[in-house]
Amino acid sequence: MKVVKQMVPLLAAIVILLLLFRIWVPTFLMPENMLDLTQQISVNTILALGMTLVILVGGIDLSVGAMVALVGTTTVYCLTALSGDSQNLFMLLAALLAGLGVAAIFGTFHGIAASKTSMPPFIITLASMLIARGCALRFNSGLPMPIGEQQTWFLAIGNGRLFDVVPVPVVIMLSLFILMALLLHRTRFGQHVYALGGNREAALYTGIPVVRVEIMVYLLCSLMAGIAGMIHTSQLYSAEPGSGEMFELTAIAAVVVGGTSFTGGRGTMFGTIIGAVIIGILDKGLNQAGIHYSLQYIVKGAVILVAVYLDVRRNR
Amino acid sequence: MLATQTPLLRLDGITKRFGNVTALDQVSLEIQGGEIHTLLGENGAGKSTLIKILGGIYQPDAGTLWSEEEPISLKNVAAADHYQIRLIHQELSLAPNLTVAENIFLGREPATCGFLRKRELNRQAAALIQELGLQEIRDVTATVATLSTAQQQLVEIARALSQKARVLVLDEPTSSLSEQEVEALFQTLRRLRAQDVGIIYISHRMEEIMRLSDRITVLRDGKSVGTALTGEVDTETLIRWMVGRDIKEHFPRPPYRPGDVALKVSQLSNAHVHDISFEVRYGEVLGFAGLVGAGRTELARALFGIDRIEQGTIQIDECVTQIRSPQEALQQGLVLVPEDRKQQGLITEQSVAFNITLPWLKEWIHGCAFHYQTHDAIVDRTVKRFGVRLSTPDQSIRDLSGGNQQKVLVGRWMEQPPKILILDEPTRGIDVGAREDLYRIIGELVSQGMALILISSDLDEVLNISHRIGTFREGHLTGVYPAESVSAEQIMQQLTGGSSA
Repeated sequence: MKVVKQMVPLLAAIVILLLLFRIWVPTFLMPENMLDLTQQISVNTILALGMTLVILVGGIDLSVGAMVALVGTTTVYCLTALSGDSQNLFMLLAALLAGLGVAAIFGTFHGIAASKTSMPPFIITLASMLIARGCALRFNSGLPMPIGEQQTWFLAIGNGRLFDVVPVPVVIMLSLFILMALLLHRTRFGQHVYALGGNREAALYTGIPVVRVEIMVYLLCSLMAGIAGMIHTSQLYSAEPGSGEMFELTAIAAVVVGGTSFTGGRGTMFGTIIGAVIIGILDKGLNQAGIHYSLQYIVKGAVILVAVYLDVRRNR
Repeated sequence: MLATQTPLLRLDGITKRFGNVTALDQVSLEIQGGEIHTLLGENGAGKSTLIKILGGIYQPDAGTLWSEEEPISLKNVAAADHYQIRLIHQELSLAPNLTVAENIFLGREPATCGFLRKRELNRQAAALIQELGLQEIRDVTATVATLSTAQQQLVEIARALSQKARVLVLDEPTSSLSEQEVEALFQTLRRLRAQDVGIIYISHRMEEIMRLSDRITVLRDGKSVGTALTGEVDTETLIRWMVGRDIKEHFPRPPYRPGDVALKVSQLSNAHVHDISFEVRYGEVLGFAGLVGAGRTELARALFGIDRIEQGTIQIDECVTQIRSPQEALQQGLVLVPEDRKQQGLITEQSVAFNITLPWLKEWIHGCAFHYQTHDAIVDRTVKRFGVRLSTPDQSIRDLSGGNQQKVLVGRWMEQPPKILILDEPTRGIDVGAREDLYRIIGELVSQGMALILISSDLDEVLNISHRIGTFREGHLTGVYPAESVSAEQIMQQLTGGSSA
């Protein structure tokens, strides 16, 4: 109940924004437009779900944008190399696993480095952002790798529609949301995350396996980035080594607009999805209203400032 | 001779409340120029509150401050600065990354057109150190982080005295100093006294107080109990003023019925403690006395699996065990309640219930299923058993009093009582009522057969609650004594290194 009450201002903000853009753009609230919106926010939402965990334990992951590119290129490279001109479910799974494997290696490294050393997560993930981006550019001399037309299953990940209505990315996004919300709000692991973010030392003295929890958190964040990377690549019909730039910042914005405290210990998955929706509406609405993109940046920046200011004031 | 002068500073009926708690109740005090006036009192008697009022950090709710018969208000730190009241806090407040000279003149650096004059800065600092006779500080260009705690303490003092001081307030400045350094500090203080500075000196060390001060004022439970000239009062009277009742009554020692050996530590060493051997039995309280930094907390951390053990063995129930993490310690039935409630104990963002149930997540969360009945029962039992005063378990733990927070931190482990419980400074900073509750809890746990290690810097507490007392000095366990046959003086000699005359 308390959680729902905290969300009221954010939910109100969504309604206001929707109505505002409805005035501006008459077709804004049409079902097809709304479906389109959910499809467009899916990649950012998935990134933000993982980022929420990391920020909850008082960390940050700047590498998720580069991870989107690296997992995309790895997966497409493996897919092309393994299945050639044909399509093979087994080979597709192998390629997806290879992509997620790369993400898992990075995530585990982040977790170990953040929990076992005193290097700040900001620096650790800044460095691995560069490394991951560099690795992505190693494929195909840094040029985009188109996905073969015969790879209909992989292309469906980003472009298909369930029952010809709901976009597949939205289905994936909602499933992951439910999964992560359960994990954070209905398991011991979730309680450990809150304890760790609230006071690491106290969590240690209470017998919480702080190192294991922290590794798990960074691992999950990278895996989310991996899944987002596959969707994004599929949507582009090609693996782009330069894609995903600034994605980490949009994801962080969604998390903080959703009410997660940047110092850790406070926040919810529900808040994050709301934050992602708000940013998505702004993106789409400003675009459809024909606002120049320079102004879009300014408006989005202002909205983030206001949202976080209100949240900080309410909590202190 | 003192009474004839006009006091430099006079406090008249100062009262300070925090919520329902009255920290200071009608306290009056005067400081003459050229006297060393000691404030004596137990932890929580109101000394720190009084100091913070003098420093302009807290504002009194009632009462007046007078400076040479003129009413003044110390509404902020700058005001205290204006009246040349200099504070030296117990906790160091230096910037560890800067040099000694830079710290001394922090915010007042000599500069031309905004450019720092480094050489001038160092020259002035060296001159000041020379003038104050702080030979312990040899190099003013040394980075503060490279100095010992005692040297840092002296830098702090030099900083306070780098500007003219009319009133100097020192809060337990000797707690981390060696005998020699204490002597050097005393000489400095006596020199300042000769220059007509009024000095307020706060300390627990009776012997020091008797040697140094001209007058002594005793605070108890926020009230000033009495003021006397040092020559006209003896230690016994002062202690009676401080505690206000018979000590034995104040600290109820649990009945002594020792059982089997619960924990046996042999020749344990790591970076902080050296060659520690002792044992503690079921139904026994083993007290650890020592000065701050003597290695008691470090030993507790090693036993609890937080710091690495380099050598030695730990036996629990006569089985040699390895404890490499707090999880392993808990599995072995060993619990440590750490010394710093805020930093190491509480998840302050969260509710009382969250903090109580945190060690017992396995009991009420199975997979994705929250068993709220079990959860509520755990919270309920802990709150009732230990009389935690709260409005609802869902309130933030931050809003509880220190005593109630401590009851939560100790009480939550009793859901499945450990074999061995280590309490590190369990009564620091909590009020008298809560302290007595905690002693009662300790008594109950021990009579139920728990083995308890009590780490405390309150000598009376450790002497009167424990059955046996271990003394720590510089990382060594220097001896273990039966509490019945050892005096406070003997223990104090062990802690300070013998020659206490």
